[in-house]
Amino acid sequence: MVRSTKCEVRSAMRRAGRGILLAACGLFFMALLCGVSPLTKQKVFIKTLPGSRYQLMVGGRPYIVKGVCYNPVPIGKNHEYDWWSDPAKPWLVDGKLMKEMGINTVRFYQPGQNAEAVKKVIRDLYERFGIRTILGNWLGFWEYPCPFYADKSFQEKIKKEVLEMVGLYKDEPGLLMWILGNENNYSCLGLINKWSSEEIDKEPDPQRQKAMRANIYYSYVNEIAREIKKIDPHHPVALGNGELIGLEFAKEVSSDIDLIACIIYRGKTFGNLFNSLKFTFDKPVLISEFGADAYDAYLKKEDQNMQAFFLESQWRMIYQNLADYPQGAGNCIGGTMFEWTDEWWKHNEYDPAGWALHSEDAGWSNSSYYIDIRAPKNMNMNEEWFGLVALSKESEDGLNKRTLRKAYYVLREFWKKPVLNNKKKKKR
Amino acid sequence: MKKLLVVLAVLALAVPGALAQQATQQAATSTGWMGDYGDIKLNDQVAQKPQSGTTCMQFSYTAKKAQGQGWAGVYWQNPANNWGTKKGGFDLTGMNKVTFWARGEKGGEAIQKFMVGGITGTYADTANIEIGPIELTSTWKEYTINITGKDLSYISGGFGWVTTADLNPDGCTFYLDNIKYELDPTMKPETRKVESMPFSVYSDRSSLKNHYIPSGWMGDYGDIKYDQASKENPYLGDSCIKIIYNGKAAQGARWAGIYWQNPANNWGTQDGGFNLSKATKFTFWARGQKGGERIEEFKVGGIMGEYSDSDSATIGPVILNKTWTQYTIDLKGKDMSYISGGFCWATNIDNNPEGATFYLDEMRYE
Repeated sequence: MVRSTKCEVRSAMRRAGRGILLAACGLFFMALLCGVSPLTKQKVFIKTLPGSRYQLMVGGRPYIVKGVCYNPVPIGKNHEYDWWSDPAKPWLVDGKLMKEMGINTVRFYQPGQNAEAVKKVIRDLYERFGIRTILGNWLGFWEYPCPFYADKSFQEKIKKEVLEMVGLYKDEPGLLMWILGNENNYSCLGLINKWSSEEIDKEPDPQRQKAMRANIYYSYVNEIAREIKKIDPHHPVALGNGELIGLEFAKEVSSDIDLIACIIYRGKTFGNLFNSLKFTFDKPVLISEFGADAYDAYLKKEDQNMQAFFLESQWRMIYQNLADYPQGAGNCIGGTMFEWTDEWWKHNEYDPAGWALHSEDAGWSNSSYYIDIRAPKNMNMNEEWFGLVALSKESEDGLNKRTLRKAYYVLREFWKKPVLNNKKKKKR
Repeated sequence: MKKLLVVLAVLALAVPGALAQQATQQAATSTGWMGDYGDIKLNDQVAQKPQSGTTCMQFSYTAKKAQGQGWAGVYWQNPANNWGTKKGGFDLTGMNKVTFWARGEKGGEAIQKFMVGGITGTYADTANIEIGPIELTSTWKEYTINITGKDLSYISGGFGWVTTADLNPDGCTFYLDNIKYELDPTMKPETRKVESMPFSVYSDRSSLKNHYIPSGWMGDYGDIKYDQASKENPYLGDSCIKIIYNGKAAQGARWAGIYWQNPANNWGTQDGGFNLSKATKFTFWARGQKGGERIEEFKVGGIMGEYSDSDSATIGPVILNKTWTQYTIDLKGKDMSYISGGFCWATNIDNNPEGATFYLDEMRYE
């Protein structure tokens, strides 16, 4: 056992008793003396409980994903920066802070190019802080001009890339699961990165076109999942999906998917998501991207209370739908909130000068985040302010100095003692 | 706001007729007259058959659309003409119901809603409670607005009514008397009732069964013309909805749409949805003027905000036929316990470069 929460330790003591615990400690030191790493790979799988309730199991024990999306791009750089090879090793500073907060998982949208550097990050996070890694792949979603999911050569190219990733990292003890895609399903609706094929173009009915694209895409993802399992049967494969859109098609063609990794931005609530998923595609769900920014676009100033309010509410709903909470849907296994640090490049990725400025301009509108919805044109979502940790230009150990936002502390306390019934709690 | 003054004010309001009298004074200075205010006449000294005392108020509404709005109403405000721009409301904490008496000249006059609070702005009311639509009888009848459990700490819109030309094509005359705030120890907070099915969003222009207001104009709202009393070959009854989208991108958005909301303009900022838990589907009839008009989305629910809808369901894109066709949005498995966005459509220029004219009718939850 690398790391245990206080709760897990208490539970273990109740079950095993002091004598067994001592024996376990003895074995731990024996293993060290023999040069055998105690951090052996543990099988990760999903356990199905009665009533379509699901639990993620790691090393034979239930595991709640208390996670965060991690992409520590420093001020002045953009998404192309290879932070994995940063000599200042931001993950060591951040990993310590994460562990102190209670985070047990990080999500990477896609690993860096340098496999050894990636392995180093995964190992450091796991061995030093007990933090496990979720690795994803964009599935070519950002390929120019669009992802040609109906094209066999495109499919093969992306599949090869994914299987190479799996081959490289499947034996990392810190690995938790794979996520295929992010919000790629929106391309099936033609909302973003629209793709087509001759056959689809011949179809006059746009609803049928949508269904055709969805069937192609979800079948393809399923094919990759099936291939992954041939080489890595020890880690679940998640289907990344924007909202629940399109999952009625996935249900028909994606039986090899183990769980859904949903990207959800619905303010303080996830609404009927958990029950709705049961009805649409009965799989466990990881809320793989959610959160709130810490900038009030209406009052034009940082608002850490606003961010903390939304995040705590979101985590409460996640906990209310875990398998062991009887009143909930029981199909949620946790979440990876967006995100650990602010990213100063995000408002305009094409303006290098802007990467060193913390933009106060909102990039999109979402009325679910109602506190600052009265901002001009209702533009209230500040993409550069989603971090639990603010960055400053001041340098500390070769990194931008980290300042913890209120949400960090609020969630730290929530995870210590989750309060799931807060009806009397004052509304923000 | 000083509590002492507030208490005195509340006591004054609690005297039967006091609020009506105050309203009379405000109305005489045209305070709170809304919509087609030119269609409204008020006689606050009508001595003929008052409910009690010696006089009552008579409102005459001509439905001539003097300001081109198609609706009209009156708010009782404090101070006069306060549309949330200045302080002046009362702290009515401790009251739990508003009662009033009303009757129509002939019977059958339709009032779309009576309301308490709901004035927005810098100094917004802390509550917004509505009842309606109500069909008046020719004899006096007492009505109650349950305000139990509501935050009444600041109410500048003490009472109001709204009606429409569609509900009263020939206008109407009605009477009000004894409008008052009260404390009733037996009154309990109103729970949101589960609506029985079918539950109409639109049936006919003047139908009292209609629910939700097509107030949520989105995107290029300047591109939309909306007529909910079209006589052009309705599917059923005497009218249907005609929508003209000209695709000129008046606001530069390149798309447009309308949400039917409750109450009007509720973008999740107010607790105002209906409990439609019994609904398993939403059906409506639609046709395009030429056929081939493409609507990107028809939707129910999905309004997000402080009071978010409990769920949403969509169909689309839909290419309309020239003849009436029924469409269904499946609601099985959906949580319809709180729906403030009763219906919505949206389309865009890219798929309708010449614009689109289409018709809707018989929109309802079943």
